[in-house]
Amino acid sequence: MIIKIANLNLYYDKFQALKNVNLSIKENLITGIIGPSGCGKSTLLRVFNRMNDLIKNVKITGSILIDEKDIYSPVYDLILLRKNVGMVFQRPNAFPISIFDNVAYGPRVWGINDKKTLIEIVERSLAAVDLFDSIKDRLKDSALSLSAEKQQRLCIARLLAVEPQILLMDEPCSALDPIATGKIEELMLELKKKYTIIIVTHNMQQAARVADEVGFMLLGELIEFNSVKKIFTNPSDERTFGYISGRFG
Amino acid sequence: MDRHFDEELQKVKKDLLEMISLVEEAITKSLEALKKQDIKMASEIQEIDHQIDKFEIAIEEQCIELIARHQPVGADLRFLIGVIKMNNDLERMGDHAVNIASYVAYLIEQPRIKPVSNIWSMAREVKEMLNDSVKSFMDNDAARAQKVCERDSVVDEMRDETIRILLTYMLEEPETIGSAIPLLLVAKNLERIADLSTNICEDVIYIAQARVIKHHAEERELGSY
Repeated sequence: MIIKIANLNLYYDKFQALKNVNLSIKENLITGIIGPSGCGKSTLLRVFNRMNDLIKNVKITGSILIDEKDIYSPVYDLILLRKNVGMVFQRPNAFPISIFDNVAYGPRVWGINDKKTLIEIVERSLAAVDLFDSIKDRLKDSALSLSAEKQQRLCIARLLAVEPQILLMDEPCSALDPIATGKIEELMLELKKKYTIIIVTHNMQQAARVADEVGFMLLGELIEFNSVKKIFTNPSDERTFGYISGRFG
Repeated sequence: MDRHFDEELQKVKKDLLEMISLVEEAITKSLEALKKQDIKMASEIQEIDHQIDKFEIAIEEQCIELIARHQPVGADLRFLIGVIKMNNDLERMGDHAVNIASYVAYLIEQPRIKPVSNIWSMAREVKEMLNDSVKSFMDNDAARAQKVCERDSVVDEMRDETIRILLTYMLEEPETIGSAIPLLLVAKNLERIADLSTNICEDVIYIAQARVIKHHAEERELGSY
């Protein structure tokens, strides 16, 4: 078990966005979080790297352990947490600098300035997202010259460059066409061999295709958490069945 | 990068081919046990059938999961639907092999009967039909599958001929009834295996060309114009 959440409650002022969530996430699996808009799935994802800290008047109770360490403990190193738990967003957010510098950005922040080492990291990270061969002659070009799919791959390579353990993906394909979506999904299936992935998606078929375990959320509650096979062939809760069969949501 | 879904489809095909080789083994062994009147060999068929049953459940579960998770379309959908149907037919073939093997112990205790060579010709033809249906599935070869379907009537004729021969024996020498009836049932089981091979070939044609040929569906459609 890499992440363990117990009795998690999260409030935005008086509004309770997460209600008594209990969840265990296993290593080297893809965990999908599905549910209708506003159910709290993105809020839950942002708990894992404390992105919610950036929002005013957020109150969190309960415990969130990564590798048995409480990430909300005052002594927990937040910078290390963000390195260890990388995040991919809905729209690719490549920096308006070269492709090389995008990937080298994180390692440089972490004090790696040796050129040979940086080249090695950049090449390895781009290769891991199946991007290196197609852009190896264009590493000095602006990252913004790449297609949306390649920019999203680049953003994932940028995370891998600092050797994280967990990848959080918040609707990573919502800005991509179906072909590009298929390619990113294939990439996720490759990456799970080395990383633990948590994906939030409103596209439940995407969760069905790539996830190993799936949680269904509704109105801030984790209604059901099960293997993808169980969720999509015989869900335990009627509300899960109602949602995945399109009867509501 | 290969599609993971394609890899999962290949895994289904691989498992189905393993199941097919067990079915072929069960049929071959049951007929050999019958020919040699070998009770020990006949008793081994039950264990093979258990393995076939396990494959049937596993393959069905894989297909259901793939349909639920990937919503396949086109050739992928036809493949999975075809496999679900073949899976069922193959499991039934295993049961027919068990039936054939079950007659061995009974036959040993009955008076000997004159050889009925027709049964062995029929067994050869049925095994060839199954073998060709498997090859048509492996190669996605609709033309070969079509030819197998056309051979079903040959086996039906062989079964009728076998029944005629055995009925004659029974009428001429009523004491042979105890031996003749199990052989009648063997002929019936072989004919069912041929029918199921035909079903597999109909599924191969559906998978390869999206054509439904069972119950002469295409001829009926043309006739309606």
